[in-house]
Amino acid sequence: MSDHITLHVARYRPEKASETTFDAFELPCPKEWVVLDGLNHIKDRMDGTLSYRWSCRMGICGSCGMLVNGEPKLACATFLSDYAPGPVRVEPLRNFPVIRDLVVEMGDFMSKLTRIKPWIVRQVEKPLSDGEYRQTPGELDEYKQFSMCINCMLCYSACPIYGLDPHFIGPAAIALAQRYNLDSRDEGAAERMQILSEHDGIWGCTFVGECTKVCPKHVDPAGAIQRYKLQSAVEWVKAFVLPRAAQ
Amino acid sequence: MDFETHDYDVLVIGAGGAGLRAAIEASAAGVQVGLICKSLLGKAHTVMAEGGVAAALANVDDRDSWKVHFADTMRGGQYVNNWRMAELHAKEAPDRVRELEAWGAVFDRTADGRILQRNFGGHRYPRLAHVGDRTGLELIRTLQDEGVHRGIDVHMEFTVVSLLATDGRASGVVGYERERGRFKVFGASAVILATGGAGRAYKITSNSWEGTGDGHSLAYHAGAELLDMEFIQFHPTGMIWPPSVQGILVTEGVRGEGGILLNRDGRRFMFDDIPDAYRKQTADNEDEGWRYTQGDKNARRPPELLTRDHVARCIMREVRDGRGSPHGGVFLDIAWIKKRLANGEEHIRRKLPSMYHQFKELADIDITKEPMEVGPTTHYIMGGVRVDGDTQMSSVQGLFAAGECAAGINGANRLGGNSLSDLLVFGKRAGEHAAAFAREHRRVSIDTAAARAAADRALKPFEAGPGGGENPYAIQSALQEMMQALVGIVRNEDDMQRALQGLTALRTRVERAVVTGHREYNPGWHTSIDLGHLLTVSEAITRSAIERKESRGGHFREDFPEKDPRFAMFNVVTAKASDGSMQVRRVPLPAMPAELKQIIEDQK
Repeated sequence: MSDHITLHVARYRPEKASETTFDAFELPCPKEWVVLDGLNHIKDRMDGTLSYRWSCRMGICGSCGMLVNGEPKLACATFLSDYAPGPVRVEPLRNFPVIRDLVVEMGDFMSKLTRIKPWIVRQVEKPLSDGEYRQTPGELDEYKQFSMCINCMLCYSACPIYGLDPHFIGPAAIALAQRYNLDSRDEGAAERMQILSEHDGIWGCTFVGECTKVCPKHVDPAGAIQRYKLQSAVEWVKAFVLPRAAQ
Repeated sequence: MDFETHDYDVLVIGAGGAGLRAAIEASAAGVQVGLICKSLLGKAHTVMAEGGVAAALANVDDRDSWKVHFADTMRGGQYVNNWRMAELHAKEAPDRVRELEAWGAVFDRTADGRILQRNFGGHRYPRLAHVGDRTGLELIRTLQDEGVHRGIDVHMEFTVVSLLATDGRASGVVGYERERGRFKVFGASAVILATGGAGRAYKITSNSWEGTGDGHSLAYHAGAELLDMEFIQFHPTGMIWPPSVQGILVTEGVRGEGGILLNRDGRRFMFDDIPDAYRKQTADNEDEGWRYTQGDKNARRPPELLTRDHVARCIMREVRDGRGSPHGGVFLDIAWIKKRLANGEEHIRRKLPSMYHQFKELADIDITKEPMEVGPTTHYIMGGVRVDGDTQMSSVQGLFAAGECAAGINGANRLGGNSLSDLLVFGKRAGEHAAAFAREHRRVSIDTAAARAAADRALKPFEAGPGGGENPYAIQSALQEMMQALVGIVRNEDDMQRALQGLTALRTRVERAVVTGHREYNPGWHTSIDLGHLLTVSEAITRSAIERKESRGGHFREDFPEKDPRFAMFNVVTAKASDGSMQVRRVPLPAMPAELKQIIEDQK
């Protein structure tokens, strides 16, 4: 393996040019370097203006999502040596407006997350002195997987539907809705179902499954969507077949 | 320069756990709340907390109570804690956890559905409510969603460069938004600092790039006092290999689940040095230690779960005496539990899923099969803004601080798990009292000349002529190397005097720092601003560490290696003198009420 690797990094500087260009940087490539180490090396020693988001370095904050050779990845958990001998293309996440270099606008994503009411909906709150709301380990297992999301947006970047129709509420938001719906402490499933059953909700998804493939936390948004569709269809049928009292 | 301005009753700086909790409480009190964060909402350093939140819920062991938690916290802090804060913290943490649970936070559960609690260093009973080893992420998510639900106004990717005060009253802040580099002014009746830590003053740290002591520095320059800045927590188990992940945290939960520390020769060295204060509570053989981690209530804790300051020093000693691992640390072995548990591999993956993936993905090590290499990493600063224990208000009227950037609860050493509970308890208190302050006091007007001067100062690195200045990263890394070498885990007078000279030299270099490009999203420029904060904090750490001529908790001096009872009588306070110089002084600890003293005696 060569001890150097070239990174082709997307640069978008709207004050200079309306098009994205690529800068090539030749970097050392020790086997333990991740893409983020490469970018930090560039920023610290070669070009202090390179813009990208990052924070924890340990795959938990979900800040450093970007495309590496066209695939949505967390830069802190993607080894450069896996792409040897290179070159490696680093670009901002697909399907989002670019603000600068590798930084994308995520306002739409944030508002989609809140649309599905990501909080416990409950008719009656009990006082704290009554202790916690009980939940057995079995009940916890029902939704725990869907609670692992780190909002890294890789699934939105991988989703061809979101790419075509930005109104589509998207994988992470649906998984998040499912995280609350399946939570035994929650009573808001019906409200969320209404939001998700709207035109831009779950029915937009044609089950491509790319979201689940790229998820660094194995949340399985595609599974959540599938489950939801089934549930939604059952509710729809029930509404016709069963008398109101049995619904 | 005309500023875009925003006005709030309560302005919160920082959107980690403390800032979010404060914002929620202030908002619930019915005042207008603005929340500023340096990065994106939900990405704050709190997400990296792994082990759990300490609260005496007594779900797993009914012998636990706030009194035991209080005594554990004071013992861990070596009795220089603000006892009032330690008391409030121990009493209120259980309700803060239940409240978080009611808002939807995910917790691992006992068989009958209550919040499960795990063992952690320095806690007598299993006390850490947790979800796997990603408790911080869950805490942030829950608070973020609750905050959004309440409609709190959030300003993301915004860096504060100066805290404005008029006649000893906080009036607001000035800073810039990263996206466009535009300066804005925020006026407020009360300001809450919740900016977290300052680990980036050191080369090896678990902290992310944002941890540059902004709140400490902003408060200091606005006239507030800092307390006990010499107390830095070097977490004993950071990753040391490969170099690109150096400093990243390996949760204490690994040891809580039975992980053991071994030197190069395979010796379990933690049994060799057990401090007297902990001897009665510590296992004296391997079998008892193992039984403790598996929930045997009659067993005492293994020495790996002694306090962090002590474990870090034991590791340093092994390395110094040539018994370290190949890359200069020691071994942390969890794989060995397979000898004791039939389903050991699965057990490890279930109890420590993030650790399993972290080592697999970042170091190509399978922790169910091989030991990890670990060593101390700068993790947390116990010192911070000096606040009133009940209200969290600093010596500047209307300026509050909570979480890591405030000081007092942890004394000389923080217990694992007490940070997440600290930020819930005192975040709430800060929010509540800041809202009350805002209702009772009229807003003071912003000194626009001061705001303008601060913005001009921040823009200075753009003005230096080409070729005339230095790259801010080079200065930052020189500072980190120096603090690591001279004011690190093992300190002495000569080194620290050299560090003070070094800081003066670095300050001159910062004056000449130059950045290229434009103001939009320019990381080089951001670093030049962080540097100012880091220099202030580093000087405060160094001066305080020189003042404390003994060893206590996170502060270890090889020239004064013992604890000195005379130094147990005071805190070290740092403040800006009228001539602009930094001054430290000793401030006697307030007398502890008899009933609290009695609790400590009873728990000895």
